[in-house]
Amino acid sequence: MQTESETTQAASEYLTFMLATETYGIDILKVQEIRGYDTVTHIANAPEFIKGVINLRGVIVPIVDMRIKFNVGEPTYHEFTVVIIMNVLDRVIGMVVDGVSDVVALTPEQIRPAPEMGAALDTNYITGLGTQSDRMLILVDIEKMMSSEEMQLIDHSR
Amino acid sequence: MKDHDQRALNIDMAKFNQVFFEECGEHLAEMEQILMSLADVEPDDEQLNAIFRAAHSIKGGAGMFGFHDMTIVTHVLETLLDKLRTHEMPFSSAMIDLFLEAGDVIAMQLSGYRDGAEVRQEAVDLIRAKLEHMIEGEGAPPAPLEMTRVESSAVSGLSADHRYELLFTPDPDLFQRGVRLENLMAELEELGSLSVQAQVSDPGDLNAFDPTLCLTTWRFVLETTASETEIREIFEFVADEEQLQVRDIPLDSRAAGPDAAETQPESFDQVKNENPAAAPAAVAPATAQPTGRRTSDTNEMAPSAFGRRAGETEASIRVGVTKVDQLINQVGELVITQLMLAQTAASLDPVLYEDLHRSLLQLEHNTRDLQQSVMSIRLVPISIVFSRFPRMVRELATKLGKQAELKTIGETTELDKGLIEKITDPLTHLVRNCMDHALEPPEVRIAAGKKPVGTIILRASQIGGRIVITVIDDGAGLNREKILNRAMEHGIPASDSMTDEEVWPLIFAPGFSTADAVTDISGRGVGMDVVLSNVQSMNGRVTISSESGKGTQITISLPLTLAILDGLSVAVGDDKFIIPLNSIVESLQPTIGSLKTVNGKKMVQVRDDYIPIIPLFELFNLRAQVTEAEKGVLVLIDAEGEKAALMVDALLDEHQVVIKSIETNYRKVEGTAGATILGDGRVALILDVASLLQMHKKSM
Repeated sequence: MQTESETTQAASEYLTFMLATETYGIDILKVQEIRGYDTVTHIANAPEFIKGVINLRGVIVPIVDMRIKFNVGEPTYHEFTVVIIMNVLDRVIGMVVDGVSDVVALTPEQIRPAPEMGAALDTNYITGLGTQSDRMLILVDIEKMMSSEEMQLIDHSR
Repeated sequence: MKDHDQRALNIDMAKFNQVFFEECGEHLAEMEQILMSLADVEPDDEQLNAIFRAAHSIKGGAGMFGFHDMTIVTHVLETLLDKLRTHEMPFSSAMIDLFLEAGDVIAMQLSGYRDGAEVRQEAVDLIRAKLEHMIEGEGAPPAPLEMTRVESSAVSGLSADHRYELLFTPDPDLFQRGVRLENLMAELEELGSLSVQAQVSDPGDLNAFDPTLCLTTWRFVLETTASETEIREIFEFVADEEQLQVRDIPLDSRAAGPDAAETQPESFDQVKNENPAAAPAAVAPATAQPTGRRTSDTNEMAPSAFGRRAGETEASIRVGVTKVDQLINQVGELVITQLMLAQTAASLDPVLYEDLHRSLLQLEHNTRDLQQSVMSIRLVPISIVFSRFPRMVRELATKLGKQAELKTIGETTELDKGLIEKITDPLTHLVRNCMDHALEPPEVRIAAGKKPVGTIILRASQIGGRIVITVIDDGAGLNREKILNRAMEHGIPASDSMTDEEVWPLIFAPGFSTADAVTDISGRGVGMDVVLSNVQSMNGRVTISSESGKGTQITISLPLTLAILDGLSVAVGDDKFIIPLNSIVESLQPTIGSLKTVNGKKMVQVRDDYIPIIPLFELFNLRAQVTEAEKGVLVLIDAEGEKAALMVDALLDEHQVVIKSIETNYRKVEGTAGATILGDGRVALILDVASLLQMHKKSM
C-alpha cells in the first residue's frame, strides 16, 4: 500500500512526439498547448531552423523546427503539421514536430540512463530512455535544450 | 521678485502642494492605522519601520515644500521612532498615545496649510516637549502636568458646571451604517469642553479582522452646562440606551484622579477649537442647525480625523500599472480580432449579409471607444511636470540675478504616465537653459529695449495623435556665429553657408556648449544631446526656431503613448515591415537619371544631396519582387541626422500599431525595434532605422 502510493507519486508524465522515426518525450508540465502550424513571420538573418514568429493571442512567440535543427525527417508544412507551445524559462516557445502521439506516465524504474549515442539529439539534453511495453521513448530536458547557446533563442550576451 | 511673479507662483505651488497634502494625509492615516492596531502590544520591527517611514516621508515632503514648522514635530517623532527601531529604547504603551497625539498635531498643521484652519501653537510646542522628554527620559511617561495645565486653561474660559464621563460602546456595524463619529464629536464639543479617548478592544484573529467594524469603546469627558438629556439626544440615533453610559463626575475631582490626566488625550481632531465660537468651518454646519441630527454623514467637506477629507478615497483608486497594461494588451487583442472579422466580412455580399455588416460596424465603434477609454487610464495631465518649474525658475532667478516670469499654457493636456516620467528631465534641462543662457540680466534687457523681466512660456497641446510641448523664451536667441565656431572647434561638420534651420540642431551634438562659463546650472555640454536622445527614445522629435534678440522656441513632439506608434507598412516580397513615421522624411520613386554609383555603392540624388541606398531585401536576406532601385520605392529615412534611402517593393498603408516586444520570448533582432500584429493577425516587424544604418555600414 505504502510503496504503491510512493511509486505513483514518483511517476512523471511525458508528452510524446515524433521526429522522423524516433519517439521523444518531454515533461508535460512544460507544455502549454498544441496547435497547428500557421503562417509565420520570418525573422531576418535568423538561423534556418528558427522559422520565425507567430502571434499567439497577442504574444509574439518564436517557432523552432526541430526537424531542420536536428536534420531528421522532411520539413514539410501541411494541415497536420503540429507545433508544441512550451513554457520554458519564463518564455513561450513553439516547436514544430512531425506529430504528437500521447501522454505517458513513467516511473523511475521504467527510465534507463541514456547511452552515449543513437539519437539525433545531442546526448547532453537526453535525460534517459523510457520503456513502456514495446515502445522506447527518448526523454529530453527541453529546458536545458531550448536555453542552450546553439538554439540561439536567448541572448546569452546579456 | 516681482509681485505678479509671486502670484503666479502661488497658484502653481498650490497645485503642487495638493500632491503633498494628499500624500501626507495618506501617511498619517497609515500611521494611525498601525498605531490603532497595536492596542498596547509592542509593535514588531516591520510595524515600527512602517511608522518610521511614514513619519520620514512627511518630514521629507514638508521640508521640500517649505512647511518648516511641520518638520519640527516630525523630526522629533522620527528621532524617537529611530531609537525604538534600533532598540536603543524600550517600547512603552504610553508611546502609542503620544504618537497618536503627534499624528493629530501634524494633521492639525496639515489642515492649517490646506484649509486655512487654525493651528494652535501651544499644542505643537507641547507635543514637541513631550516627545523630547520621552527621548531624554528613556521611556518616562509624558509629563501629565503640562497637559493638565493646557487643558484647564482652555476650560477655564467656560463656566462649565457639570462634568460627564460618557462610555460609548457602539454596535460593531456603526461605520457600515454610515455614522461619522467626528460629526458626533463636533456636536458634543459644541456643548462644552470635550476630550475623547478610544479604547480599542481585542480585535481577535488579525487575519479574520474586518477593518470596517467598529471595535472601539469611546470614552468622552465633557465639561458642560448642558444636561444629561441634551447629551443623550446627540446619541439618539447612534446608540441604544445600554450602549451609552453617562456618569456625572464632580468637577473638583478633576486633577486628583491618578488616571485623570492620562485619560485626557487631545480631541481626535485638534483642528476644532475647544471654544465653539471660534470653531472653524468644519463645525459651522452643525452650529447652523444646533438641534439637527447628524448621525449619518452628509457633510462631505468636513475634515475628518487625521486630516483626511471624506470623498477623497472614493474619488480615485490605486491600481498597479501592470494591471492597466494587461488591460491595454487585452483590448489591443480585441481590436485585432475585430479587424480580422471586418476583413473576413468584407468579402461577403453587403446585401445578403446586411445585418452582419451593421453589427460589425457597431462592434468597430464599440471597440474603438473601449480602446480609447482604456488608453486614457494611463494618461495623466502634464501639470504634474509643469508644476515643478515655478519654484525652480524662482530659485534660479535669485541665484543668477535675473528676473523671470514663467507662464504655463495647456497644463491639462494629458499624456502617458511613462512619457511623463521620461519628459521631466529634458524639460528641466530646457528650462534651466532658458534661465542660464537665454534670458539676459535685467540691465542688458533694458538696454535692448525689452522688459527687465524675462518670460518663459511652457505650452502643451495635443495636435492629432501627438503631444506638442513648447518651451519659449524671449531672451537673446541662439547665436549663429557662436554655434558655428563652437561646432568647428569640436570637429562637428559645419559651414557658414548652412541655413539657420541647419545650424540650430548643431547644439544637439554631444559635448556641445556655447556657454562662456560652466556654471553649476548648465554649460557642461552634457544636456542638449541628452535632451535629444531622451525625446527620441520616446519616438519624439525636437525642433528649434530662434530669432536673434527676440528669443528661442524649442518644440518637442511626442506620441500620445509609448504603446502605440504611427507607422508606414511596406512590402518586401511576402513580408511586411513597419517603418516608424517619425523617422521618415519622404518617399519617392527614383528616375534612372537620379541613381548613381559611387565607389560601387548605390546612391540616389535627391535635390542637392546624394543619399546611400539600403536595399532592405539584401540586408535581411529576403526574396524580393523588385531588385533594381528604379523599379522599387525609396523611403528616405533620417536617423539622428544621418540620411539613407530604404529600398522596398511597395508602400502599403499608414497605421497606428501597438508595439510588442520580441525579446519577451526571443532575442533582440538586429534592425528592428519590436513587432506588431497586423489586421490579418500576422506579425510584422517594426524597423529601427538607426540600427539599419549600422547594419548597412557593417555589411559594406
